Amino acid sequence: MLIRNILHYIKEAFLSIGRNGWMSFASVSVVAVSLFILGTFYLVNLNAEHITAELESQVEIIAEVAEDLTAEEIEQLRVTVIQLPEVEEVRFVSKSEALQRLKERMGEEWVEGYEDEERNPLPHSFEIRTIVPQDVPVVAGKLEKIPGIADVEYGAGVVEKLFRVGSVVRWIGLTFMVGLAVTAMFLIANTIKLTVNARSKEIMIMKWVGATEWFIRWPFVIEGIILGLIGALIPSLLLYYLYGEAVNWSQTNINFLPLLPSYLVIGELIKLLLLLGTIIGALGSALSVRRFLKV
Amino acid sequence: MIEIRHVNMVYPNGVRALNDINLNIDRNEFVFVVGASGAGKSTLIRLLGLEFPPTAGKIKVLGKELTRLRRREIPAYRRSIGVVFQDFRLLENRCVYDNVAFAMQVVGARPRDIRRRVPEALEAVGLLDKARMKPQELSGGEQQRVCLARAIVNNPSLIIADEPTGNLDPKTSMEIIEHLKAINIRGTTVIMATHDREIVNALKKRVIALENGRIIRDEQRGEYS
Repeated sequence: MLIRNILHYIKEAFLSIGRNGWMSFASVSVVAVSLFILGTFYLVNLNAEHITAELESQVEIIAEVAEDLTAEEIEQLRVTVIQLPEVEEVRFVSKSEALQRLKERMGEEWVEGYEDEERNPLPHSFEIRTIVPQDVPVVAGKLEKIPGIADVEYGAGVVEKLFRVGSVVRWIGLTFMVGLAVTAMFLIANTIKLTVNARSKEIMIMKWVGATEWFIRWPFVIEGIILGLIGALIPSLLLYYLYGEAVNWSQTNINFLPLLPSYLVIGELIKLLLLLGTIIGALGSALSVRRFLKV
Repeated sequence: MIEIRHVNMVYPNGVRALNDINLNIDRNEFVFVVGASGAGKSTLIRLLGLEFPPTAGKIKVLGKELTRLRRREIPAYRRSIGVVFQDFRLLENRCVYDNVAFAMQVVGARPRDIRRRVPEALEAVGLLDKARMKPQELSGGEQQRVCLARAIVNNPSLIIADEPTGNLDPKTSMEIIEHLKAINIRGTTVIMATHDREIVNALKKRVIALENGRIIRDEQRGEYS
């Protein structure tokens, strides 16, 4: 491809954007709105995943140890549990440590009178983490059958529900994102089709004087890419600003559900949006020129 | 230069436009294709411009068999011919000079060559002084002369013209024909479809008459009917 031609293509693309000012504005708006929605979903989805993962990782099993076991028997029990293949970590929590925690959480007056070792009503227990959170119910079932363990607790129904919600959120988000990307592409195809239509006579003359197909196509493809890029730049800047604000707000108002920090996600997001804008623009225009090349 | 053998053309809607056409046209000829509307003149011209392939038969132009050209070879073929239409087909938003230059830019000509060739072509059709005007500021005859300039600017060895005087009055038509004659004398083959009796009879050139898609007459120094 000659440099002269490349300059011609770029010049033509910009001239065309200027000539069809309103149409170009419409294309950019369509891409901007679509990518804004898509970007929002991307951020929501990413954070939903992050929060689910956070909650999933906090799921652990509490296994209460039967009252009458000796220290050696407890140690044997610990070894049995840690040898379960799904188990990652076992932590022994003694009666007094449990009481100490209760005191910290609820206040002095709650434990008053029970602080003596003999009168402490709390049992020894194990806190057990599994390698994958999904194994929690399985491990709980196995623990119940081990002699010496009096009681097993985990957020039974809650855990299962959490996992289910997590994957549903993921799938809905993904479906939406794909749908929006396709919609945006067809919208830009339609808009560029209008600018191509407005120049159909020019294209016909170009064909009659012997222009190659790519000579005709390039200016439109570049026009599409420019429109797609501008359309992607607007939501990128907007989401960059808005997400920063959202993170700040969440830190002061809902700090138990922390959003992913801006620097971790926004760079990826902007790269994704610019890439999508370029692809949408190029594909859209290529789609709409194709029909006019058949003379 | 042009060899047409057993060419048939049936449009998708079933209309048979050309029926077993056989034709030889030599370098430097000036040929009129005449006939009533629907006789097949335009179809013949459009086949030569490769707007579509014939249903059957062979067309050989400048040593190339058109029916065997690949899709990406079509642009190169079109550069070797100049086409003039009845309805001019100029770009309204560009001036005369740019309309002619456009045909050279499109084929990737060097700017230096464009600056040299475009004034030459405009000079040849007597429009150099109107180079900066827009097509709608010109008369019909002048617009058609711009088209002639555009058709010859790439130095084609063949010009095909489909009723180039169809929208013009008799006096202006003769002017266009004089320009086509001059182009022909300089060494370009001209094939022109027309139903303008006066022009054909005045020039005494080769006449190919079509009726219902068949050649009914082919005479050197012929007349309209």
